[in-house]
Amino acid sequence: MPRAGLGNQTGQAYAFMAMTPVKPGEEAALEAYLHGLRGDGGPSPLAKLSRTHMARFVIVADFYNDKSWKQRKEEHLDLRYLIFTSNLDGDIETYLDELCEKLAPEAQEIWGRCVGCPANPKGQVLKHYLKHNQINTGIFFAAYQDATVPRVKHCLHQRERMIEFAVASQGLEPAALQQAFLHEFGGEA
Amino acid sequence: MAPPVHMDLGDIQGDILRAYGNDYDHTTYAFVHIECPPAQARAWFSGVVDHVTTAEPWTGEKPLTTLNVSVTAAGLRALGVSDAVVGSFSKEFRSGMAARSVLLGDIGPSDPGTWEDGLGTGDVHVLLTINAQERKDHQRALGKMRDAMQKAGGISIVHQEDTEMLPGAREHFGYADGFAQPAVEGSSDARARGGGVPLKGGGWRPLAPGEFILGYPDEDTRADPKQRLPNAPAAPLGRSGTYMVWRKLYQDVARFRRVIRNAAELYEAGDEHLLSAKVVGRWTNGAPLVKYPTKPPADFDAKSEGANDFRYDKDSDGMRCPVGAHVRRSNPRDALGAVKGPGGKVTGFDGHLSFRHRMIRRGMPYGPPLPENVTKDDGTDRGLVFVSFQASISRQFEGVQVQWLNAGNIFGLGHDKDFILGDPDGKGKMTIQGKPPYFLTPQEVFVRTRGGEYLFMPGMSALAALADGTAG
Repeated sequence: MPRAGLGNQTGQAYAFMAMTPVKPGEEAALEAYLHGLRGDGGPSPLAKLSRTHMARFVIVADFYNDKSWKQRKEEHLDLRYLIFTSNLDGDIETYLDELCEKLAPEAQEIWGRCVGCPANPKGQVLKHYLKHNQINTGIFFAAYQDATVPRVKHCLHQRERMIEFAVASQGLEPAALQQAFLHEFGGEA
Repeated sequence: MAPPVHMDLGDIQGDILRAYGNDYDHTTYAFVHIECPPAQARAWFSGVVDHVTTAEPWTGEKPLTTLNVSVTAAGLRALGVSDAVVGSFSKEFRSGMAARSVLLGDIGPSDPGTWEDGLGTGDVHVLLTINAQERKDHQRALGKMRDAMQKAGGISIVHQEDTEMLPGAREHFGYADGFAQPAVEGSSDARARGGGVPLKGGGWRPLAPGEFILGYPDEDTRADPKQRLPNAPAAPLGRSGTYMVWRKLYQDVARFRRVIRNAAELYEAGDEHLLSAKVVGRWTNGAPLVKYPTKPPADFDAKSEGANDFRYDKDSDGMRCPVGAHVRRSNPRDALGAVKGPGGKVTGFDGHLSFRHRMIRRGMPYGPPLPENVTKDDGTDRGLVFVSFQASISRQFEGVQVQWLNAGNIFGLGHDKDFILGDPDGKGKMTIQGKPPYFLTPQEVFVRTRGGEYLFMPGMSALAALADGTAG
């Protein structure tokens, strides 16, 4: 069951969020690039970070104003903002090290279009930029507080095996069922 | 407490809030393409609008035929509606059904590339729905419709679907169909028991009309002290209209019968009737499994008052009606989010996770029935024309299709999809809870989408504005 924790960490899971203003004139190009990341239906580049449970990019265009709130005056953002969030396993420092190395080609296209991003964004300069723009998490619902990504994947695989076994062995007599079970799963801890 | 809703029935097209009924056995859906300039198209449209039947109750004899009109986003433009007004309609409506095919699971044999001529191509502008009591009246109405088009010029039919009620109001797989409809406040309050929102303590209440008809409070705004209405297209189109989903679904009856017959050999001593009831959650006469788990009452009348008065609180583990049964997925009532606690007490969200996803359905079968007990395909085209009315295609129709029928996660069923409608990916199954549970396989392609459109059925004053060119 997902559980909530205060701050960036719940169990071994960490919630990272960075919010960076988009350079004026770069909004459409950034949006198009993010949309195109999975244009060919292939895996997301975020899949290169094997400790990622879920990560995403969101572009915030503006504040929402509603006349019925009777605000004294409407509020608007001066720039659009890119929000990057990731729920990950373990230590944030090494995760960002990995991100800044493996996502360097994408980082140029993504954060390279944001205000204050250093030229040639990769390695420690990119890490410093992301950490500088980090927004601490107030409350964090972690879907898997203690289970790491490899553990979750393993369990899902086991579940699929068990379902396949249950379907395939449906209707077997007890002795045959036991034999089939031992054949499939015997010897596993 | 929200004030009682008064519905302007004279401004709402007929057959939405109340079905025309079984007297109208014949329905034709004529999909119209406009090639002429907007002014010429509006002249034709004006003549059509004059014959549209409304939701006002008939005082005398029922008309021999009825007519209703819907438009696509392209149709609005063809009638001269501005881009700004078209842009005020929902995104999914403007995109059209074919553009949403991957989301809807219309892939492989249901891919829009395989659809029948005229559907899903952007050619459809207007849908004319004609209902008739007798075949001869039907033919006369169709003849008049064609004459008017010929006279107008630049108007043609790109697809026509003729449907006919099957004996006993069954669909082709043999199940009673179409009788379970949402109860709408101010229109069908009497149907609330079983058709409305299940309340704590066993009661029911009807749904807010804005769930189906635009321009009225919906479940989100009904209690709003500022009396704001839900989002709708720009006036005058945003009042008394509804979004319409139209899908032609081919049914492979022989395949379905073969799979159930073969699978039943391993199930409950070959009880084929029980197995087919488990798939749908109702016996073929419509009796709900959750109330009648071992056999249906022979005299069950699906249309009788209270026939749909059931909920799943006593069956949270699906031992009576499987958690993945078709009717339980399509309308989970109080089942979503229900948790069995100590002492077997079930708590949860009552109907709060499902009541924003209801649809009014007006489907009709097409094609002749496959004779009883035949398990070899005869090559005849048969199936169901699925029609639904709702205020939001994405929240209601697509929500049910994508989250409830094509996925199992929300019900704790893993990859299981709806056994009849879900895209099986070649390895699907249905889990039928029991001791032990039964896994129904193989899940083959029993239903294929042959075409579809997202439409908007305007209110009467909106139709008049479209005909006059004053819709904006």
